[in-house]
Amino acid sequence: MIDVNAYLGHFAFRQLRHNTAAGLLRLMDSRRIERAVVSSASAITYRNAQSGNEEVAAEVKAQSDRLLAFAVISPFYAGWQDDLKACHEEFGMKGLRLYPRWHNYRLSDPACLELVNAAAERKMVVSIPIRVEDRRQRSWLVDVPDVELEEIAGLVKACPRAQFILVNGTGFVGSALGRKQSGLPANYFIEISRLAAVLANEIGQLVTNLGAERVVFGTGMPFNYPDPAVLKLEVLEASEDVKDAIRRRNAAKLLGLSPR
Amino acid sequence: MLDRGPIHRRTFLEAFGLAAAGLARSPAAPAGSMVIDCHAHLTHRSRASWQEDDRKLIEAADKLGIDQLCCSLLTPRRPATAEGFRECNQWVAEAMRRFPGRVLGYCYVNPGYGREALAEIRRCVEERGFAGVKLYNEYRITEPVVWPIIELTIELRVPILHHAGHAHSFVEGQPHISDGGHLSEVARRYPEAMLICGHVCGGGDWEWTIKALRNAPTVCLDTSGSVIDEGVIEMAARVLGADRLVFGCDMSMTAGVGKLRAASLSAADKQKILGGNMQRLLARRGTK
Repeated sequence: MIDVNAYLGHFAFRQLRHNTAAGLLRLMDSRRIERAVVSSASAITYRNAQSGNEEVAAEVKAQSDRLLAFAVISPFYAGWQDDLKACHEEFGMKGLRLYPRWHNYRLSDPACLELVNAAAERKMVVSIPIRVEDRRQRSWLVDVPDVELEEIAGLVKACPRAQFILVNGTGFVGSALGRKQSGLPANYFIEISRLAAVLANEIGQLVTNLGAERVVFGTGMPFNYPDPAVLKLEVLEASEDVKDAIRRRNAAKLLGLSPR
Repeated sequence: MLDRGPIHRRTFLEAFGLAAAGLARSPAAPAGSMVIDCHAHLTHRSRASWQEDDRKLIEAADKLGIDQLCCSLLTPRRPATAEGFRECNQWVAEAMRRFPGRVLGYCYVNPGYGREALAEIRRCVEERGFAGVKLYNEYRITEPVVWPIIELTIELRVPILHHAGHAHSFVEGQPHISDGGHLSEVARRYPEAMLICGHVCGGGDWEWTIKALRNAPTVCLDTSGSVIDEGVIEMAARVLGADRLVFGCDMSMTAGVGKLRAASLSAADKQKILGGNMQRLLARRGTK
């Protein structure tokens, strides 16, 4: 399995376990997850996110075959162009994660479009976490809403050459992002950690409406337990071929990974 | 080829490490290995798809190895009227007959209806075989209007599953929501009551809730909710003890099962949480 939604480091409002490279790898091994895309949890609240990127780069250095580092970059922080270059060229990062609500900007802002297009030039994948944690449990210090799906739809349309992974989201079935005939480019993938596999069965609906090739496995660990996502694919009513595509094939293709 | 097979009971229990403990049995297993979802809901009949929705709930339980679902049905608009909660409870009673042995009923009432609420609880428990009472957020559990209901559940020896949550900001639309602190306070007043604090994983700051319940040994905590934060089950077991945790999904089915499967607990503790503790609560109904 390839997990497109994992993290290293500390989060400002809750203690995380398994948040070092060694700890995360042990957790991955216990769940037979071969590879994971990781970014800095600390960088979500660091003002200078590049410090978090440097921490992650150092952490994964010896494990870069299994832990695929993504950068966290705000297009409104001084020197983001230098940071993007360093993350790509020095650290070998394959993508970046955007936190428009935490970093206080809109995906439609020209600076954001410039960053996404610069990432696309470098063939870096852009991951957008719709949320970091459930808003009901937020700290008294912050009130960070989820990223709206309509806003993301606008971005994927505005940057057709970029490749996106949308993580920690739900409600796609009711949005333009969940339909093949919505006029949006086929440049985004939807991760399953918050999608239902029974009852409303949003995963099954996305497989039908958008295509199995657009759905990818992710857990949100170590914020989340990995097992719910693993279990979803166990109970999903779909062929083994579809499940295999979701578990690893789609992500491997997107991230340019060779089969193991 | 479609892989449509449900998770077989053995597979399910193996995933929890229970098979090794000798607990992997058929659904007809003796008491002790039941998997009971303490927090489920049936669909209100104002929704055209209610029959299919209820059927899907049973199918999901089949897939996930859940033997029984403790269900309530709430009025779409709240606070509920007496007519509204009686209608809901009638539909729960019908579901108990439609899915015998799978659906256990909670009687939902609005405590503000006083004698009508009490009469409805007595009727549902004594005549219809309901397993417990569901209270929502019409009143805080600490308000005196709720106390006669608590006293009646003590008399009838049935649990109360209480909607609960603690946020660090005003919860829109729920000015009277109870939290773990309120349940603890009431437990001191009524130590004989069987109180279940609802959905720790859908009720805001779960670390706060667990700590608020530490010194209320008679209150159980329901693990349900969509939140799957790593470590929540282990902290709850460490602070409260596995004997005080009851497994639930609150319709977030794979989240509910997945976090129990993931938790670093002994097979014996998981078995208690998955069904043993709830069975113990439900068994009190038959004892004097």
